[in-house]
Amino acid sequence: MLTCKEMSELGSDIIDRHLGLRTRMAVFMHLRMCWRCRRYIKQLRLTSQVLQRLPLDREPLDAAAIRDKVCKHTE
Amino acid sequence: MEEERDLVKRLQQGDAAACEAVIRAHHRFLVAMAAPLVGQGLADDVAQETWLKAFAAIKGFEGRSRLRTWLARIALNEAHVLLRRYKREVSLEGWGADSGSPIASSFSDKGAWSHPPAQWHHDSPEALLTEAELHECIRKHLHRLPGDQQGVVLMRELGGLEFAEIARATGLSEGNVRVLLHRGRQRMHAMLNHFEEVGTC
Repeated sequence: MLTCKEMSELGSDIIDRHLGLRTRMAVFMHLRMCWRCRRYIKQLRLTSQVLQRLPLDREPLDAAAIRDKVCKHTE
Repeated sequence: MEEERDLVKRLQQGDAAACEAVIRAHHRFLVAMAAPLVGQGLADDVAQETWLKAFAAIKGFEGRSRLRTWLARIALNEAHVLLRRYKREVSLEGWGADSGSPIASSFSDKGAWSHPPAQWHHDSPEALLTEAELHECIRKHLHRLPGDQQGVVLMRELGGLEFAEIARATGLSEGNVRVLLHRGRQRMHAMLNHFEEVGTC
């Protein structure tokens, strides 16, 4: 039987589907009866999705200057 | 995705405004991703070389991966080319050691939750990302992650690179990369959880 702490350690392997059959079964059984771990795993997945979609273009950047520099090289 | 396809088409036609748009969208990511591998000083050069190679090769981009992932692959390669040119090695001192669970104190001695995560007000990435304050908070905490976790989170989550590619680029094992990613995600989750609970960063 997996503890909640062990479940939290397996979190990324769960959301990345990187588990062997036996552990997958144990995880499934635990999640069925533990809302706290269901919540944690769901939120960890959400965290990963937020990072995947995080735009990094908020700070000012002189894109034209970079483009000009690059284009000068290619001409 | 539709938007990206359109952007790529314009890039392939040599549209200057599209070049600028793609630089604005991804330049900071490329610099941030390269910095842990080559040092802050060379990271700008890596990004610039990446744009040179990318604009020269964009006609061959078929959209099998996200544009950012394609750029990240070029950047990894350029980072290694630059290191070879300067006869330097990837210096990842202190990378890879597991710092342990950042939420160990949330459990009782028996391993059950003593402080379970809070109920969140947002339940999709889109909903979370509409909070302007949260954007800032995520970026701040991303920069505060230990260097190895930050590097792996940038390569995997933001860059979409495969575990095997990250392992090759860093000289770590795939298992090690997975642990670092997990620790990084856990810390970022703790930050989001705090934001959902208290409403501030």
